[in-house]
Amino acid sequence: MKTKLNNKSEVKVMTGNETAALAATLCRPDIVAAYPITPQTEVVEKLAQYHASGKLDAEIINVEGENSAMNSITAASLAGGRVFTATSSWGLVFMYDAILVTAGARAPVVMVNVNRETPGMIAVSSGQQDMISTRDCGWIFLIAEDCQEILDMVIMAYRLAEDHDIQIPVMVHYDGFYLSYMAERVEIPFQKNVDDFLSVLKQQPERTKLMPGELLGCGSHGILGGYMEMRHKHCQAMERAKGKFEQINLEFEKKFNKNYGGQVEEYKLYDADIALLASGSMCGTIKTVIDEKRKHGIKIGLLRLRMFRPFPNEKIVQALKGKKCVGVVDRSLCFGFKHGPICVELRSFLSDIGDTKILSFIDGIANTDIKKDNVKKMIDLIIAGSKGEDVPEVTWVSYDENHGGN
Amino acid sequence: MVEKKKKRLSKVFDYLKHEDPFAKGVAFCAGCPLELLVRFIPQVLGNDIVITGTPSCSAPVLMGQNTGSWHKLSYYGTLMTGAAANATGLVRYYNRAGIDNTVICFNGDGTAADIGFGNLSGAAERNEPFIYICYDNEGYMNTGIQRSSTTPFGARTTTTQVGVNSRGKNLRRKNLAMIMAMHKIPYAATATMSNLEDLAQKLLKAKQIKEKGFCYLHVFCPCPTGWGVGPDMSIELCRKAVKTNYFPLWEALNGNFSFSKQVKKPKPVKEYTKLIKKFNHLSDQELDILQKDIDYEYSIIKAMTKLEKEIK
Repeated sequence: MKTKLNNKSEVKVMTGNETAALAATLCRPDIVAAYPITPQTEVVEKLAQYHASGKLDAEIINVEGENSAMNSITAASLAGGRVFTATSSWGLVFMYDAILVTAGARAPVVMVNVNRETPGMIAVSSGQQDMISTRDCGWIFLIAEDCQEILDMVIMAYRLAEDHDIQIPVMVHYDGFYLSYMAERVEIPFQKNVDDFLSVLKQQPERTKLMPGELLGCGSHGILGGYMEMRHKHCQAMERAKGKFEQINLEFEKKFNKNYGGQVEEYKLYDADIALLASGSMCGTIKTVIDEKRKHGIKIGLLRLRMFRPFPNEKIVQALKGKKCVGVVDRSLCFGFKHGPICVELRSFLSDIGDTKILSFIDGIANTDIKKDNVKKMIDLIIAGSKGEDVPEVTWVSYDENHGGN
Repeated sequence: MVEKKKKRLSKVFDYLKHEDPFAKGVAFCAGCPLELLVRFIPQVLGNDIVITGTPSCSAPVLMGQNTGSWHKLSYYGTLMTGAAANATGLVRYYNRAGIDNTVICFNGDGTAADIGFGNLSGAAERNEPFIYICYDNEGYMNTGIQRSSTTPFGARTTTTQVGVNSRGKNLRRKNLAMIMAMHKIPYAATATMSNLEDLAQKLLKAKQIKEKGFCYLHVFCPCPTGWGVGPDMSIELCRKAVKTNYFPLWEALNGNFSFSKQVKKPKPVKEYTKLIKKFNHLSDQELDILQKDIDYEYSIIKAMTKLEKEIK
């Protein structure tokens, strides 16, 4: 059932994967290269379908592996094209050397990564371990909560990646299985509005492109000072990306009448004593539990990470300052640290946040559902922590040391 | 109507129609045929090529480690694992944007036959419109002479040493040119630095044919430093390799094989190996194994050339 609505061309029920493919199509990429992997496969199929039907006017490269997907689109991007790919887990790890080049060359590539557990054990299941395993590759990382946000975030990702002041590749993450296969109501914007939104990039100075016959090169040997200069500039651009993303979000709101809140989304945090810090699809469940808890007079809020790299420490510190106890939910592990990775990063700004107790919750590993009961258990621990009771610093919520995982 | 016969270019210099874009004193070893090759290509094909390469012997020059002595070409330096994929991305975008291009993916045997073989094969299967040139010096020379899959039987390298337990490489070489031709790509050919007219013709042919799809050129490039020969011997080695059928010159258009040069009375491979230090430990028995392997490879190509009519 399609309904014509103001400011959007149509409303459809779509899976996260279909949404991602449609979002990329709306951004009119020149080159698309992708290799199928569970749970991302539908993205590749949909792109092929859009291409076959004429909806997607792009060069499709049916590569023989993810490594070639990233290598080919990086080169196409440096030649001047707008590019897209999608992958997940093992695929992301297989393109690891290539994503380092993409970032080092500052190629404004956009890709979606459908979060899944990484190799080690063959886990065809959701988890953010793939994101954590590649976090220091120099890309900007965005994390979507639902299907609608996947669509909107991919559009914003192109604005961010290709911005003249930024020029850093952007990876949009969304939870495999939970979002990849879940069909939700998605509002699809008019093509013209997306074109308008992205047309700002055309007014900016043209980026350097690799052209035949020109005395130009990519991937030169960078040694000593030259290398350090490039890295320093990359880090500076990463810092600029925070403000730029806020600005893009405001412009997006003007155009599409939707505001997600920039680097972080604050949910009922303004008067909260205690809070949860989380990211991705689990935030829907957390918000529901928060609503229930608030009915019982418990002042709890949620801070949702929308941007993971660069790490929005200023926004986080500002939002969490003065809270008695904060629980950080991680869907991945930081081997060698007992805390979850996002918790480890939050703790490095502990002195800025002040006298706040930080708890680490590890949950949702390998498709273990983060159910309402799990969230309630976390909130109980946070409440206990806020009262100064003795609570463990790290809790594996769905795991019992005596009985294993459930 | 009979077409007017084109005037045949008789001397190799007639093919060098463009400027040499490389500066003097580039950072190659003395006598390296790779330097001759990389200077030769843009002089024949023009300076508007885009050359893509990977960490390798050619990298210091192509990617500018030695910025004091460089070149004037547009280039793309990247990973060994994705060389052909990079070239794919470039040509796909150039063709889409209507930009005239000749993309040369220029790699050693380490990238082509080993670590980057998957995406080379992938690009060939997809018939991507660019020229892939493999300069084969039979090993990983830039990292200090380690064996590759094109290192021939018996050859001594730093990872196939000669001692009580080892007599050099005890496996046969991978015939990459043949493997590429088996993809039935529009053009696959072998060439070497002793037969420059042949090389120039093949380059020009590839430039023309690449409009239709993937072109592969396998260029035999001895490594004086790694093989243990004097810098004045590199061209002689190329010549001997052709004359002993160690490296036969052939081409395959859409899978139709033909010899570019047929040696009437091929010399035994010993005539070639005796010049090179990496083979000097080989016994007559071991040389016999190598000879048989050379004969085997040659007989396949010969059989393929005879298949031509049947394929048509």
